[in-house]
Amino acid sequence: MTDAFVEFLAATVRIASPLLFAALGGILSERAGVFAVGLEGMMLAGAFAGVVATYGTGMVLAGLLASIAGGMMVAAVVAVATTRFRADQMVTGLAVNVLALGLTSFLLRGFGARGEAPTIRVTTLPSLPVPWLADLPLVGPVLFRQPALTYLAVALTVIVFVFLVRTRPGLTLRAVGENPTAVFAVGGNPARVRVIAVVAAGALAGLAGAVLSLQQVGTFTDGMTHGRGYLALAAIIVGRWMPGGALVGCLVFGAADALQLRVQAIHLPVSSYVIQMLPYIVSLAVLAGLGRTARMPAAIGAPFVRERR
Amino acid sequence: MLRMTGISKSFGAVRANRDIELIVPPRRIVGLLGENGSGKTTLMNILFGMVRPDAGSIEFDGRRLEGHTPREALVAGIGMIHQHFMLVPAMTVTENVMLGWDETGRWLHPAAVAARIQEASAAYGLDLDPDAVVASLPLGAQQRIEIIKAILRGARLLVLDEPTSSLSPPEVSSLLDVLRRLRDEGRAVIFISHKLGEILDVCDEVVVLRDGEVTGRAEVVGVSRQDLARMMVGRDVTAPLGRVSRLPGQERLVVNALTVRDAGGTIRLRGMSFSVRAGEVLALAGVDGNGQAELADVIAGLARPDSGHVFVDGADVTRGGVAARLASGLGHVPADRGTEGLVQEMTVAENLALRDFDTPPLRRGPWLDGPAIRARAVERMAEYDIRAGDAEALVATLSGGNQQKIVLARELGRHPTVLLAVQPTRGLDPGATKFVIERVLALREAGAAVLYISTELEEALAVGDRIGVLHAGRLVGLMPRADADVTRIGLMMAGALAEAPGPAALYGTSPA
Amino acid sequence: MSARPLAVSLLAVALAFAVSALLIAVAGKNPLVAYGALLQGSLGSWDRIAVALNKATPYLLTGVGVALCFRARVINIGGEGQIALGGLAAAWMAMRFPQAPAVVLPALALGAGALAGALWAGLAAVIRLRRGVHEVLVTLLLNFVGVLIVSEALQGSLGEAGAGFPQSPLLARAAWLPHLIPKTDLHVGIVLAAVTVVVAHFLLWRTPFGFRIRVLGASAPAAAYAGISPPRTFLSVMLLAGGLAGVAGAVEVLGVHYRLIEGFATGFGFNAVGIALLAALNPIAVLPAGLFFGFLETGALAMQRAVGVPSPLVAVIQGLTMVFVLSAMGLTARRRRV
Repeated sequence: MTDAFVEFLAATVRIASPLLFAALGGILSERAGVFAVGLEGMMLAGAFAGVVATYGTGMVLAGLLASIAGGMMVAAVVAVATTRFRADQMVTGLAVNVLALGLTSFLLRGFGARGEAPTIRVTTLPSLPVPWLADLPLVGPVLFRQPALTYLAVALTVIVFVFLVRTRPGLTLRAVGENPTAVFAVGGNPARVRVIAVVAAGALAGLAGAVLSLQQVGTFTDGMTHGRGYLALAAIIVGRWMPGGALVGCLVFGAADALQLRVQAIHLPVSSYVIQMLPYIVSLAVLAGLGRTARMPAAIGAPFVRERR
Repeated sequence: MLRMTGISKSFGAVRANRDIELIVPPRRIVGLLGENGSGKTTLMNILFGMVRPDAGSIEFDGRRLEGHTPREALVAGIGMIHQHFMLVPAMTVTENVMLGWDETGRWLHPAAVAARIQEASAAYGLDLDPDAVVASLPLGAQQRIEIIKAILRGARLLVLDEPTSSLSPPEVSSLLDVLRRLRDEGRAVIFISHKLGEILDVCDEVVVLRDGEVTGRAEVVGVSRQDLARMMVGRDVTAPLGRVSRLPGQERLVVNALTVRDAGGTIRLRGMSFSVRAGEVLALAGVDGNGQAELADVIAGLARPDSGHVFVDGADVTRGGVAARLASGLGHVPADRGTEGLVQEMTVAENLALRDFDTPPLRRGPWLDGPAIRARAVERMAEYDIRAGDAEALVATLSGGNQQKIVLARELGRHPTVLLAVQPTRGLDPGATKFVIERVLALREAGAAVLYISTELEEALAVGDRIGVLHAGRLVGLMPRADADVTRIGLMMAGALAEAPGPAALYGTSPA
Repeated sequence: MSARPLAVSLLAVALAFAVSALLIAVAGKNPLVAYGALLQGSLGSWDRIAVALNKATPYLLTGVGVALCFRARVINIGGEGQIALGGLAAAWMAMRFPQAPAVVLPALALGAGALAGALWAGLAAVIRLRRGVHEVLVTLLLNFVGVLIVSEALQGSLGEAGAGFPQSPLLARAAWLPHLIPKTDLHVGIVLAAVTVVVAHFLLWRTPFGFRIRVLGASAPAAAYAGISPPRTFLSVMLLAGGLAGVAGAVEVLGVHYRLIEGFATGFGFNAVGIALLAALNPIAVLPAGLFFGFLETGALAMQRAVGVPSPLVAVIQGLTMVFVLSAMGLTARRRRV
């Protein structure tokens, strides 16, 4: 029994890692004042680009770089539309999700004959046990026998935290999300900060997609992100827009997802569909439970307009 | 130190600055005097690089500033303290000071910056705690953060835009002291204001702007208030308002023991009680932020008090929301006419129907009566001289004065028994101000009870039959107009004096 | 609809087609031929037109609901879940009372669909109002839950045993929506949709309720000042939109598939958003916008079969259109304080 439990915990961490990448990116975007609704599309683009590049070149590194690029390209659309054109941030995020869904499905079929979707298979990324630490009881298998990208996700959590709280660019980014005019008045460029933040979010979300396609299943299927971008959004709110908090949120939702997979394997008398609802219901419950106490960046959602009359 | 010549700027059809020249030597405080809309803020925005001029040149310390950004202005030594503070409320004083301040490189050193803040704070008497969160500080302290930012960045010229609009009298005088210290050190200060008294108090020289042009320049020593007022307004200031003295009738608005706490738990209104009678104006004076907004919201039905009651014509409307107020005949001219009292994206006609679209005659069964709405619009526009293309014009295209006329036309057109007017003349030119005050007084003649909340003491004194003073959520003074003494009221506004109202004040029997 | 939004929408569509043409070219096919096949596949024959009109019907219904929501600044993305549950309710009703007369049964089923959709939207609204969770996230997450509920139902009592695919048994003939034109596939749903569009137009512009929606969407402070209760209006407009989406789901089940099929509602919610935007949030304009989306989707499969250009291109066109319309709206919007 404990073996199964350990396995469950390890799976939780593994499944949480794409959520974590996306959530970290989303934090950068939202802290700078841009809603990160487009994470889903950025992840999907990254997942697709990652698989295609790995398949085409045979190199995982190429796949990872491509996934980052894919996410950044989708993010660039959001950045330009919301900053330069002042488009509504939330609905633009949704629009790019639709766009990414269509584009990835379209391009996927571009490889097949007569517009049919081929199945592209690549070998999934292996686990990378950390010597000596991996042999510790309980903690070893759960924390130190993870694929490389999972370690990267945790490392990035710390990096993003330090960036936001201890560096000047991080301070500027947070200020842009609270009061962009104040940043402008001291000589900063809020629009540029927002664009960079959103594109960085795209890079991270692209990596999240790579985790899904390269690490977890080894292929790309239509719409494979399946709402994880929205779960990442929920994790951001749960984590109060801080990397550490988001990590906790991702673990909770990851646990729900892992539980769902485990339960299916155990053949409990509960329907598999009901179990599949678990991550979404847990997410809603946690959000509803937290209620209004979560305080979001003050200037989020409002476009920054330069000249005052 | 600073030389601005030939500055001109237009925004569409509005010529905000016309060929302005401004020279500021070091060791001087130069006052920039003008009414709202005279072009002062535009000129300073141009100086600071937030707006680009259509023509003219700027020379600072011998170097030309052209097409520059705020950052370059800062680096050159110009420090701007805006009327609306450029601070991040959620962050601490230290974090706000660190923002945009490149001196210490990529990594933040909050401890070092905090030490420098304390140092400067002591040197200039600014009294700031580096770890305080800005949102929790009073406005006077927030302003001092702006000043410290400028000082720490080595600003040699400080520009203050309407710095005293939200300060109490003691805070004003300590600010003026700080400015004098800065001047004596060798810096220069530009002091922008429309308040004659302060300009005469602290400035060495004054430049007067009107309608975008310089209409006068003088050393403060030799000039009088009347001279300045004439340069500012162009004619003799405010003709005395004719008032009919009358004996007020029964109580129409009664406010009883109102207590309001804000979201954070701070008390904003403390057991406030007063009443307003038919045919009188009760003017409440006080510095912004002392409970006016909360009081207005509760009376208007936009918020519920934690305890206490509001009665309109004897009916308890406390918990009834806006609907109850509408039913009992309360009119509300809100402080924020543009965003609260009007819907900018909708037409004049729709805005005139904003408060009673849901009742006959504007509503017929399940439908809105379009012709009736239009007819009313035409009627009101004529009656109140609202200058718009036609009733289908969008409100956003109208001037501030015309927008306020719409609000007045709507509220007064409902023949309210009680009118709540909050800062109704804010941002209006003298002509529009006069119009508003005349209409309010006409309503008073007609027997309504008017509660007039204003931050401009002179206006409150001109309008009110009785004057009340708000401070820290309490009514610290209430007196008939005849007994109003500006000095005493000023002290009350600052919280230095509190008086229990005498019987004459409570019952308002003294004629104007 | 005034000139400018119309021009903007047309321009956005044209740009989207242009960009997509580039994509087609990059894929090695001729864009003109592809678009020709698209046109042929949607308008080429009366049969195709009937199919396209049928396809447009749920879009019109849901699009109107979303347009009204957006007018009130309520971002309701829950179309997919609401449609799915609407279809479920309709199927259940049809299977529960198969002996009911042929006029009554569809009406009952449509009503059930409306109720289910309204309740699902209402749930989202309540979570938003009571707990302050933003409606975008709530409606999005509830989409997944709603769709899974339908799948669950198809495994159980509503499912057809032995079918290779999760679906319900064929519904009783009496439940089927009657055809508008005999001998074609076109069902009366399109009439219902057109009527709904017109009613919504009057609702928005000529009734106090519509006035409340418009004021609330334009300025929350002004709405409070005018005595408009934001929660009540919010809830009302969500219930309305949910009900319309539920009807849309019922129409799909009763008029097109004649059974409940897993995944029948996929993508409808986002399409509704795209349609509402293209229509510049004007109910009347939802008619051409919805028809446009319907024809686009109908032509897509034909285009894929004929020319080999994958049908998801249509989703690309829709996504691009949305981005362009949003950008144009952003440029022309007045600066307003929320």
